[in-house]
Amino acid sequence: MKTKKILIIDDNPDFIFTMETFLKRGGFTTLTAQDGKTGVERAQREHPDLILLDVMMETLYSGFEVCKRIKTDPQLKGTPIIGISGMADELGVQYEKEKDQEYFSPDAFFDKPVDKQKLLTKIKEFLDT
Amino acid sequence: MMEEKTHPPLLDLGYKAIVDLLPCYLSIQDRFFNVLVANQTFRNDFGDAIGKKCHEVYKQSGIRCSPCPVWETFQDKKGHMSEETVRLPAGATIQLVVYSVPILDSLGNVMAVMEISTDISRIKEFQKELTFLGQSVASLSHDIKNILEGLQGGSYVVNEAIKDQDQELLKKGWSVVQKNIGEISRLVQNILYSSKKRTPAYETVALEQMLLETVGFFYEKAQLIECRLRAQVNPSLPMVLLDPGAARRMLINLISNALEACSRDKGKISHTLSVRADYFDSHHFMLEVEDDGIGMDDSTSEKLFSRFFSTKGMDGTGLGLLVVHDMAKEHGGRIEVLSAPGKGSTFRVIFPLKPTCPF
Repeated sequence: MKTKKILIIDDNPDFIFTMETFLKRGGFTTLTAQDGKTGVERAQREHPDLILLDVMMETLYSGFEVCKRIKTDPQLKGTPIIGISGMADELGVQYEKEKDQEYFSPDAFFDKPVDKQKLLTKIKEFLDT
Repeated sequence: MMEEKTHPPLLDLGYKAIVDLLPCYLSIQDRFFNVLVANQTFRNDFGDAIGKKCHEVYKQSGIRCSPCPVWETFQDKKGHMSEETVRLPAGATIQLVVYSVPILDSLGNVMAVMEISTDISRIKEFQKELTFLGQSVASLSHDIKNILEGLQGGSYVVNEAIKDQDQELLKKGWSVVQKNIGEISRLVQNILYSSKKRTPAYETVALEQMLLETVGFFYEKAQLIECRLRAQVNPSLPMVLLDPGAARRMLINLISNALEACSRDKGKISHTLSVRADYFDSHHFMLEVEDDGIGMDDSTSEKLFSRFFSTKGMDGTGLGLLVVHDMAKEHGGRIEVLSAPGKGSTFRVIFPLKPTCPF
């Protein structure tokens, strides 16, 4: 079976490195981008099976912008996006799909520090592996 | 009435005198907002307002406030409340909480409205402090969580590397752990520094030695991101008076930021970071940190020294530059920032050669 490709978009190189190590060990192929714009371009070029997306990137495209662009791209809109943020708890704001979908529409949401096992279960659920 | 019996001398004052003594502004207004009656406290702070319109007295404005509790009370005969910012004739601005009460005639119509206002400026200040405290806690816990993510991630990689006996991976994982230990130590130092007002503990400092030592902490980190570190000190600079601990902290924060700006700049193959000490003019010397990293636009530069402003998204509380700002101020110095997006930034902290002659 062809290995599934996961694109990690995060402006923190350490996070990318540890996620890459983790996902490769889980049997996935990884692609990475350290800013939103490169992330969207890689997604358009390489059609990943799933995208891990940092929400609060201070780069040319924020996580919100990346999500919007991918979900409105006819070629990519079916690609599951897992949003990751370190802010939800502090702000007392939890992502609620029904309310926040119009603004930000990832298919799942994780808060940092990420529980790797739960993340893996969610990824497998999306990729049906 | 109990008070009247037990304290007859107080009643001799008369109700008008008691009203005058109230530590709040009390006025009675007609339906055109003309002040008919004002108590002494009101007159003391706003002058003789009788016959003038309320909004002219409070806000030097030709139109009534919106919302206006007095107007609302005239409309519905009920009491109302609002918060207003008003200007005293002396120029100071204060915040008031304003209550309005209807005064009814024998037919039950509103013939006038009594307005009672209390100065809540101090309460508002406390409120601001509390909001700030809340934001600080949120921002700090966010930063700590990020470091935690780094520590957990790094130790996960270390564990995997040990399992596989992969030396290369072990090195990489361990460097992530070390980096985050450094981050948390820097964060704690900055929290401690910014948590209280300090008077610099001046000592005679040889700038060359201090610069070389401080820059030395960063050689390894700079190498990892292909950044060349340079320390330049004008040899004719004399020994200067500085709080060495504070100055070192300041340089550490500026150099960390500059390295971060270089590592975020993907447009160049390698970078240069220069730390300089030189004369600014005949009475001042400067410490300067220059990088050719991502740089900043004007709007970012303007917000730099506000508490908890950070451009680093997940990686910064914004506390670092605040510490630099506080340190410069405590030394009677000032900061200049030159920056252009894509070209880099220069942070220059200028100190008086004699601390007794600040700017």
